[in-house]
Amino acid sequence: MTPRSAPCISATDQMLELADIHAGYGQVPVLRGVSLVVEPGTVMGLMGRNGMGKTTLCNVCNGLLATASGSVRLDGHLVTGNPAFEIAQQGMATVPQGRDLFEDFTVDENLGLGGPVPVEIYDWFPGLVPLRNRLAGTLSGGEQQMVAIGRALARKPKVLLLDEPSEGLQPSVIHDMGAVLRRIVDDVGLTILLVEQHVELVQAVAGSVAFLADGVIAEQVPIAVLSDSLNDNEGPVHRHLSI
Amino acid sequence: MIEAFPIFLDALSFVLILVLVASGLVIVFGMMGIINLAHGELFLLGAYTVVVAQGFGAPFWLAAALAPIVVGVAGLAIEFLLVRFVVHRPLDTILATWGLSIVIKQLVVLAFGPGSHSVAVPIDGAFSVGEFSYPAYRIVLMIVATAVIAGAGYVLVGTRFGLLARAVIARPGTSASLGINTGRVTQVSFAIGAALAGLAGALVAPLISVDPQMGLGFLVPAFLAILVGGAGSMTGLVAGGGLVGGLDSVLGGWISPVLAQITVFVLAILVIRLRPGGLFPGRGRRP
Repeated sequence: MTPRSAPCISATDQMLELADIHAGYGQVPVLRGVSLVVEPGTVMGLMGRNGMGKTTLCNVCNGLLATASGSVRLDGHLVTGNPAFEIAQQGMATVPQGRDLFEDFTVDENLGLGGPVPVEIYDWFPGLVPLRNRLAGTLSGGEQQMVAIGRALARKPKVLLLDEPSEGLQPSVIHDMGAVLRRIVDDVGLTILLVEQHVELVQAVAGSVAFLADGVIAEQVPIAVLSDSLNDNEGPVHRHLSI
Repeated sequence: MIEAFPIFLDALSFVLILVLVASGLVIVFGMMGIINLAHGELFLLGAYTVVVAQGFGAPFWLAAALAPIVVGVAGLAIEFLLVRFVVHRPLDTILATWGLSIVIKQLVVLAFGPGSHSVAVPIDGAFSVGEFSYPAYRIVLMIVATAVIAGAGYVLVGTRFGLLARAVIARPGTSASLGINTGRVTQVSFAIGAALAGLAGALVAPLISVDPQMGLGFLVPAFLAILVGGAGSMTGLVAGGGLVGGLDSVLGGWISPVLAQITVFVLAILVIRLRPGGLFPGRGRRP
């Protein structure tokens, strides 16, 4: 089946463009008008307290959750309402929160689910080479996260949605992951929306940060502003992340 | 010793037929979690395909090869027109497929009458070793059934389609976001399950009387074999089918069919009570 590509091309050259997204679960609204643009080849961090709708926003982007209103454009094409598998075929990849690996499949089987595995995957994640025939469920948390990221990248996506990749990982592993992500962005010009609570990882990878609060983008700042204001009690991190 | 041999062969043949009938169900029910109460009627359609094809003068083996195609297409239609709308609501699935089973049965009654039809045994004669002899078709059927069961197991475990099917069953959302057309995979899996039921019906047709009620007699032990063996794997099915079919057949032959049925059901209850996942809990579907 050929993907239904929307004929309307956006006037802007944004890679991922969300316009006035309203979405939720049943009668409970979670997103109440989110608008966000991510330029090609850049990494946008998305931060916010628990329950603010970060994962909901990812699921709206990849088509797993229907929007009540608003639109999602991927590389200029309207993808709102398309089935999730078509949006994936159009270039959206997701590393879901909790990784969602197929534990009883081998590493290679996990990586190859979306199609043939490009050789770059093993360049970026050389640690996976000796593990290729191991069952994914037997790997450590850090190794599993590498498989999850590799599996998403194997489709050569235009946009990667990373939902809390640092969750449950030790600091050294998070540091290494940040370096690999940065290298991948530089290598292939990937566009990433990085949902994260871990400030250091966002600083290492993202160029700018948007803060999600009460279902809208409350503030958006360049990464330098975030870094400069970390010790500032009035800064964005304290306003949007501290309890 | 020589007296026990036919009982053993009868049991083995019954087990293999049961596993063959249930092999489609292990995909549809065991792995995909669809409680298809019309599975017995897909088996029935397979047998009637042979009756019709032979009516047109087709040889048995051609008719038997036609059956999985006819029933597979019927399965595709059932999935497209009915199952996909109710699949996420198990109770509705039970009602819908039960209703479908009644509709199929009544259509068969309207078309062929309520009476039974017989399919001529395609291979006459017996296989003899010394003074012992056994019907040749039963031996051939056992070999074909073993090959089909092994083939179905291979498709699920050894092919890319099997990998995708198991992925879609385990994590439909994640599979879709990897670009896998989950609806299509589900449809094809259901059709393969239906085709296996149709093939089983065709192969078993020469041994039983083909009538509109023939599905039910196989549906119940098939579900039982899957529950006892463990839903979601061919290994579990072979174990469950061996236990359910083997006990039923051996005890039925030695003591009495009633006592055999009681023993099988008591044992099934015990196994399911003590090991809710069955003897070999499948890792296919997660709650």
